[in-house]
Amino acid sequence: MKKLKGKRELGLFQAVMIGLGGAIGIEIFVLFNYATYLAGSTIVFALFICGIINLLTMLSFSELGAAIPEVGGEYSYAKAALGGFLAFLTGWLRWVSNAFGAALAALGFAYNISYFVPVDMPLLTPLIASIIIVVLTFLSIRGIRQIGPMIVIAFIAFFVILILGGLLHGLEFKIFYPSTLEGASNVFATTAYTFIMFLGMRAIAAGGSEIKAPGKNIPRAILISAVVLMVLYCSIAYVTVSVLSLDDITKSHIPLTLAAKQIFGETGAIILTIAAIIAALSSLSTAIMVQSSITRALSRDGYLPKFFLSTHRRFKTPHISIIFGSIFYILFAATGVVEFVGYVAGFASILGFALVNLSLIRLRMKMPHLKRPFKIPLYPYVPIAGILVSILLLLFIERSALSLGIVFIILSLLTYHVGMVGYNRIRIAFGGMSLGVGGFVALFAYLLRTGYPLPISIPPHLSAIIFCLLIFICAINILAGVLNIVTKSKR
Amino acid sequence: MKGRKLIIGFVGATQEAIGALTIVFSYILYHDLFDVQIWLDISAEHVFFYLLLLFVFGFVSIISGFFLLRELSQ
Repeated sequence: MKKLKGKRELGLFQAVMIGLGGAIGIEIFVLFNYATYLAGSTIVFALFICGIINLLTMLSFSELGAAIPEVGGEYSYAKAALGGFLAFLTGWLRWVSNAFGAALAALGFAYNISYFVPVDMPLLTPLIASIIIVVLTFLSIRGIRQIGPMIVIAFIAFFVILILGGLLHGLEFKIFYPSTLEGASNVFATTAYTFIMFLGMRAIAAGGSEIKAPGKNIPRAILISAVVLMVLYCSIAYVTVSVLSLDDITKSHIPLTLAAKQIFGETGAIILTIAAIIAALSSLSTAIMVQSSITRALSRDGYLPKFFLSTHRRFKTPHISIIFGSIFYILFAATGVVEFVGYVAGFASILGFALVNLSLIRLRMKMPHLKRPFKIPLYPYVPIAGILVSILLLLFIERSALSLGIVFIILSLLTYHVGMVGYNRIRIAFGGMSLGVGGFVALFAYLLRTGYPLPISIPPHLSAIIFCLLIFICAINILAGVLNIVTKSKR
Repeated sequence: MKGRKLIIGFVGATQEAIGALTIVFSYILYHDLFDVQIWLDISAEHVFFYLLLLFVFGFVSIISGFFLLRELSQ
C-alpha cells in the first residue's frame, strides 16, 4: 500500500512549535465566555482537569506517533491497531472535530473583527466567517505557508504579558475549585466544552513523518507542549476571572480583550484583538491543512472517492479535498452559535481520544514486538483511564450537540458500508427512503387540503400554492425513488 | 434512451435543489429570520423537532438526487 510520508526535517523545537501553534489558537478567545457561564470562577480548575485528561491521551499519542510516524495521526494508529469500521470512525471523527474547529476559528475571527467595526447586524458574524473561509481556502490552494515559530513565540509573549500585567494590576481572590456536587458537575461540563483548547497538540503526532528522531522528539514535544499550555491557560483564566466580573465575561464574546482593556487600557485591547485575529487565521489555515490530510488518507484507503487525491496542476496542492472541507466549514459557521459548534467539536475529539487509547491497547496485544521508541508509563492503567474519562466527559456534552454527534456517527456507518455492502444496495435503500418521504409529503398535502388541524398554521391565501408545491415535491420523490430502485448501476 | 436520461437528469437536479432549499429553510427557521416561526405558529420548544424533520428530508433528497445525477455521468 502506498504510504503518504514526508521528509524528516523538523527538530524538537519545531515539533514543540507545531504543537503550540496547533493548540494556541482561537479557542481560548471564543470559548471562554460560555465556559465561565458554566463554571464561574472554577473555570481555572476545569482547564487544569482538561489539561490532565489531554495529557493522558497525549501519552498514548506519543507512543503511537513514535511507533507509527505516518501522515494521518490517529487514523493511521487506528488503522494499524483496530482496522475496519473503528479505524474509519477514528478518521471520520478527526475530520468532524477539525471541521467544527475550523468553523469556530472563523466565528472567532468574525467576533474579533467586530471590535474594530461594531455593526449590529444579526447575520454579519456568519457572513464574515464564511468570507474568511473562502479567502483562506483560496490561499491554501495557492500553497500558503503555515504559522511560523516566531508567531507562536509572539503569542506566548502576549499571554505572559497579560498574566504579569494582571498580577501587577492586583487580583481579587476567588474560589477556583468546586465545593458542591453541582459545582463538580459544572466543572465536567466545562471540561467537555473546553476540551478542544488542548487538542491541537496532536498536530505533532500527525506530522510525525516530518520530525527527526521521532522516538525521542515526538513524546518530548508533546509533553513540553502540554505543560506549557496548562500553565498558560490556567493563568489566563485566573487573571481574567480576577480582573473582570463573571457577568462581564459571560455577556461578552471577547472577554480576554476586555481583560486586556481593564489591565492595559485601549492599547492592550487593540493588541489582544489583533492577536486573536491572527490566532483565528492560524487555526483556520491549520484546520484546512489537517482536514485535507485526513480526507486524502481516507481516500487513499478507498473509503472516499479517489478524486480527493488529485492535486492542482499549477500549485501542486490538494485543491479538491481543500474545497470539499471548506464547504462544510461554511455550513457549520453559518449557524453562528459558538457554544453549539464548540460542543460538537468537543464530542468528536473526546470520542476520537477514546479510540486512540483503545488503539494503543490493541496494538500492544496485536504487535507486541513492534519497535516502540517511547512507551507510556503505567500501562495499561493510563490508556484505560483515558478511555473511561473520555466516556465520562461525553455524558456532559450539551444535548443538541450530542444529537448531531450521533447523526455524524450514523453517517459514518452509512459511508463505510457503502463500500462494504455495495453501491447498488445503498442506492436501492435511498430509493426506498425517497418513496417513503414522497408518501409522507402526499399525506401532508391531503391533510392540508381537507382542512385537518395541523400542528403548524399555513396562511389561508397561501394554502393552494403550498398544496401544489407539496404535490410537485411528492411526485419528484416518488419518481426518484422508482428510478433509484429500478436502475441498475454499472458499478 | 435519451428521454430516460433527460428524466433522470431533471428528477435528480430537482431533488438536489429541493434538498438544498430545505437546508436553507431550516437555517431560516432556526434563526427565525423574517419571523418565520411566528408566521408558521411554531413555538420555540418545538423548533428542534421541525429542524430534525427538515434535515432528514433534505438529507434524503440530496443523497437520492446525487445517485441519479451520478447515473448520468456513468
